[in-house]
Formats: sequence, C-alpha cells, structure tokens
Amino acid sequence: MTKVVITDERDNCLSVVKGPTGAEHRRLANEVMQRALARADLHIDDISYIVATGYGRLNVPFADRQITELSCHARGVASLFPGARTAIDIGGQDAKCLKIDRGRLTGFVMNDKCAAGTGRFLEVTAAALGIRLDDMGNVALKATRKVPVSSLCTIFAQQEVVALLSRGEKLENIVAGLHDALAGRIGALARRVGLDPDLVLTGGVAMNRGMARAMEQALGCAVLIPAEPLLTGALGAAILARETCTRALAEGQTLHPRPRRMEEATFFGTEEQ
Amino acid sequence: MTRSIGIDIGSSYSKGVIIENLEVLAWHVLTSGSDYRVAAGAIRAELLRESGLRDDDIARTAATGCGAETVGFAQRKASDMVCTARGINRLFPQARTAIDVGSQSSRVIKLSPDGGVTNFGVTEKCAAGGGRFMEVIANVLRVDLAGFGTLAAKSKNPVTFGTGCAVFGETEAITRISEGITGADIAAGVNRALAGKIASLVRKVRLEEPCVICGGGALSTSLVKAVEAELGCGLLVPPQPQLVAALGAAIIAAGSGAP
Repeated sequence: MTKVVITDERDNCLSVVKGPTGAEHRRLANEVMQRALARADLHIDDISYIVATGYGRLNVPFADRQITELSCHARGVASLFPGARTAIDIGGQDAKCLKIDRGRLTGFVMNDKCAAGTGRFLEVTAAALGIRLDDMGNVALKATRKVPVSSLCTIFAQQEVVALLSRGEKLENIVAGLHDALAGRIGALARRVGLDPDLVLTGGVAMNRGMARAMEQALGCAVLIPAEPLLTGALGAAILARETCTRALAEGQTLHPRPRRMEEATFFGTEEQ
Repeated sequence: MTRSIGIDIGSSYSKGVIIENLEVLAWHVLTSGSDYRVAAGAIRAELLRESGLRDDDIARTAATGCGAETVGFAQRKASDMVCTARGINRLFPQARTAIDVGSQSSRVIKLSPDGGVTNFGVTEKCAAGGGRFMEVIANVLRVDLAGFGTLAAKSKNPVTFGTGCAVFGETEAITRISEGITGADIAAGVNRALAGKIASLVRKVRLEEPCVICGGGALSTSLVKAVEAELGCGLLVPPQPQLVAALGAAIIAAGSGAP
C-alpha cells in the first residue's frame, strides 16, 4: 500500500491516506498524493518539502528527497512513543527490528529472505485453513492450548496445518500455534540486536491482536502498538521533511524544492543521499 | 521364488513396485493426497491388479518415505536413504554418488561398492531445496512438471531469483510475468536455483563419479542438465527415477541385499 501523511510545522497530521500501490511499478503514488491533498484542502505547491520512503521510494517523481524506511520508521515510532528503544516492524514481505536512540536509528536486523519469518507466514496458512487473514488474531485468542507447528518452511506449514485439522485438532489451537511459531522466529531475530524497552510493534501484523499477545509471550515484555501501525514510516518521513525545513530556516538557507511533477512514475530515478 | 513389495510414501507422490527375484513385475505411482493410509492401500491394490497376483503371493512388504509409518500392512520400515542406496546399487552397481531430488528435500548419498551409505547430505527444512519449488512455480506457470521441463529447455535468459524462499519466489515469478518475462526464463531460473543448492550439497559430501540422479525431480531433463552444468560432470539417470527408493524397499523386503 502507498501511505501519505501531511503534517504542519508542529508535526500535527493534516491529512492521512492509505491507498493501493498498484502491481505495475508502484505508479499510483501521485493518485494517493492527490487524495491526501484534497482531504486537507491543499495544493501541491502548498507543501514545503516531500520525503519519500519504502521499497518504492524511487518511484515518487514529486519527492524532494528519499530516505530509507528504516530511518523513517525509527523517527515515526519515536514521535508516537518517545520512550521507544526497540521497534519491530512485521509486514508481508519482511520483518525488521530497529534499535532507536532519541529518534535516531542506531542498529537493525532484517529478514527478507524467508517467508516463515514474516507476516506472509500467517497469510499463506490462513488461506490453507480457509479463514480470512483479518480474522486470524481473534481466532488465536480463542485457543485453549497451542498446537505446535513444527515446519520451518511456510510451504510445508501449509500442508502441516491441513493435516493437523484433519487429525481433529481445533482450528483456534492450530492458529494459536502458528502465531507462536512466527513470534518465536521474530523474537530470535530481534534478540540479535537486543531488546530494550519500550518496545513498539508496527506493520500490518501489529493490527493482529493475537500476534501482539504471542509477541509479548515470546519476548517476555510488554508490547506497545500505535493506533495506525501501517503509518509510522510515512509519519516519520513527514517529520524528517519538516526537520529539514526547520534546519534550513534556522541556518538562514532557502529550500529549493524540485519542480513538482504530479505524473506517474515513468522511469526509475537515482537515489539522492 | 520370492515376491516382495516396496512402497515409498513421499510428501507429494506415493510409489510402489512388486519384484520377483529382483526383477520388477509391476509398478505404480499416484499422488499422496492428505491421507497416506489411503494412498498406500490404493498402491497395493493396483500393484496386485497389474501383476495378476493375490495377497498370499507376496512374501513381504517394506515401506519407506515420510509416510512409511502409515503403511500398516508392511512388515518392515526402512529409511529412504538406505532404500535409495539399495535401489541405485541394483540399477547402477558402479555408482558412488546418488542425488535424490524429492518434493520435500534433496539428498546426496555417498555409496560403498555394496550399496551401503557411507556419507550423506540433506537440504535444509525448506521447500526451496527440493522439487516443491518446481511444483509451486509450475502451478504459477500453469504447466505440469513434464511441461515445466520442456518450457525451461526453451529459455535463452534464465531469471535470477532474489531470495532462496519458495514463497517469495512465487511472488517474484508473478511479478516477472507481469513485466513480460517468459515462462521459459522463469522455469529455467528455478532449475538453476535448485541446481545451485543441489550442487553445493554435492560438494559438501565430495563428488565421486559415477554419479546418479534420481527422485521425481530427475524426471525433468532440464533440471538434470542444470545440475550437470553446475557440477561440470555427466549424470546417470535411471529410466524410472522416481521409483528408486520403492525398488530399494522391495529389495530390502526380499532380504536379498547385503544387511
């Protein structure tokens, strides 16, 4: 998904929009941006500075700067939870654990190599069990015990859960076992950078209440969850953009934003640092 | 005259053979489905029907594969490693290395001259190391495994997959198709990725020729070629590569091999 957050000079959110990214080269950033502007009753020229982040950050032709999702996440999480020292972001294609010190990223580990350590694990097994991904968490919370799911590979787990179901295991207990398995793997990843409280969980998987409980059990500490766990990256990008403006103003410099091109991304730009 | 049955219940396919004095009388292959017990029973019934034999004509049955425990009518269970080694030794007595590409995992077995296992390696507990990766992508490309092999053979420019994960590989394949990459190049990319994993496993246990490739994966001639290219040597392929472990089990059941 493409997320747009527009903030004012005191980091208040003026507009928040989540829209589709589109299969073909993430070309829909301009459409989502237009919707965000319309919602705040603003024009593109009213925006002082635009930071793009995420996997598709190079495909935002109207952005002034690109910043990695890691830095933006760290900044966004710290703005919502000033005491945050660790952020775990679990999405459908990767899982990351960030170490944060006063809003700055000081270290991270990431898994984008194996689906079994990401939200995709729940997505694929939910389909195999015939339940909606959105329902997985609530189903897990009804469990009376956890049925261990031993497959280390998502593909094999798919078969395993169907076999467990046909053996007569209760659906909710299997689903709880799946959450437990994923939380265990992500916990092991997170321990490689160390777990310091406060710990914040973000990404699509953070909307799953069963996963929040499984993570608390696997990590042995409380887990904080933002109201909008998908937006921390875009929020961080907006705050970093505002900070760039503030810094320029303090140093008496004028910002020269690029000419805004509100068209589709037609080429892959080069990244500026 | 000893007749025996060997049954190999794999995670995707179940295989069975009847042998009489080490010669194959009948064989059968079917998909394992979700109930291995049903698969095992269906294979025995089919083997008996094809060979025109009755239950009493079979001296002994041995079972192998990940579903071996479910074959209630087998007097003996044997590991798939030992069965594959025994089957290879029967077909290629000169072979010193065997590569077995199954659905769940790939194995490399070093063989002694009498068909014993001297060393082995198994891919990690991950679908990308076995034939399942091919099955997943074949499903995306809407071809069967035979069609997959034919398709891969037409490739001019195999894709390189970004991760070693079969799930992410599936997504990547779908993305590449939408970008206009041909199915041939995707299939060949899968072969190359799988061949790379198999070859590094072979190097770990040290290649000793002659080397045989068997298991369902060996049915794909383009995968065999990709493994040959990675290893830089020729591979022997049995005429029915997926039946090797079942054959080995039947030989073990007959008690005619070395202990």
